Amino acid sequence: MTWWRRAFPLELAEEGHFSRREFARFLALVSAGFTAGIGFLWMRKKPLEGASDPESGLTGQPVALGMASDLKPGESRLFKFRDAHDACILLRTSTGELKAYRQTCTHLGCAVRFSGGRLECPCHLGFFETDRGFPVQGPPSRPLSAIALETRPDGSLWAVGELPKPTLENLDRRADCPKEQQLQERQEVKA
Amino acid sequence: MTPRVRISPAALGVILVLLVIQVYLFETVLGAVLDGQRKVLPGAFGVSLALTAICLFLAFRSTVEHGPKD
Repeated sequence: MTWWRRAFPLELAEEGHFSRREFARFLALVSAGFTAGIGFLWMRKKPLEGASDPESGLTGQPVALGMASDLKPGESRLFKFRDAHDACILLRTSTGELKAYRQTCTHLGCAVRFSGGRLECPCHLGFFETDRGFPVQGPPSRPLSAIALETRPDGSLWAVGELPKPTLENLDRRADCPKEQQLQERQEVKA
Repeated sequence: MTPRVRISPAALGVILVLLVIQVYLFETVLGAVLDGQRKVLPGAFGVSLALTAICLFLAFRSTVEHGPKD
């Protein structure tokens, strides 16, 4: 008897016992597993780790992020928002705007960092633009979760909630194409 | 001699196609949930349940007679 026969003591007759119907039943059970998985996601009220939860809106506990003027253009700072595992990144773009995003890459969940004016995921070289968190290069296909910021009269900066991710329904198309926006404004002025 | 009852290859093929649809549906739903769009869950669950019901019906009920009848 050869070594591999001893290592894998399967008889051909036994292998044949796995019938077509048994295979079909196995596939049907796998299908039921997927249904159970979707049911689990439906019943689970707590959002998945790193997942966006815009339904909580602005009702969450605000988080103090220091003074808004502390951050210079091109700089970033990390903070925790929803809980100790919810890492987020606050940044000031080159145009001076303050933006905050969840640090979880939408590809495979690595931590993104602010580098060279873009948000970069170093694991698989995915890049996101800083204005709305849209992926611009690499494997990620979904935008980052954005955090709503509020600057209070005393100059302090607060993270106050989550912004809904841009979808086809709520996408501001004028923001997509600034030239189109300028043309529209010119037409309005002429009219 | 009694006929041997088997599942037909066509039924097995349909189950395989339905399973591919299930995988795609689950991946899409997971992406939507991670994006915070939980509204798709009831509809997706209903569709997935219907697909599973068809799979189970085919796997347990679909038969084709094979071999001599007597």
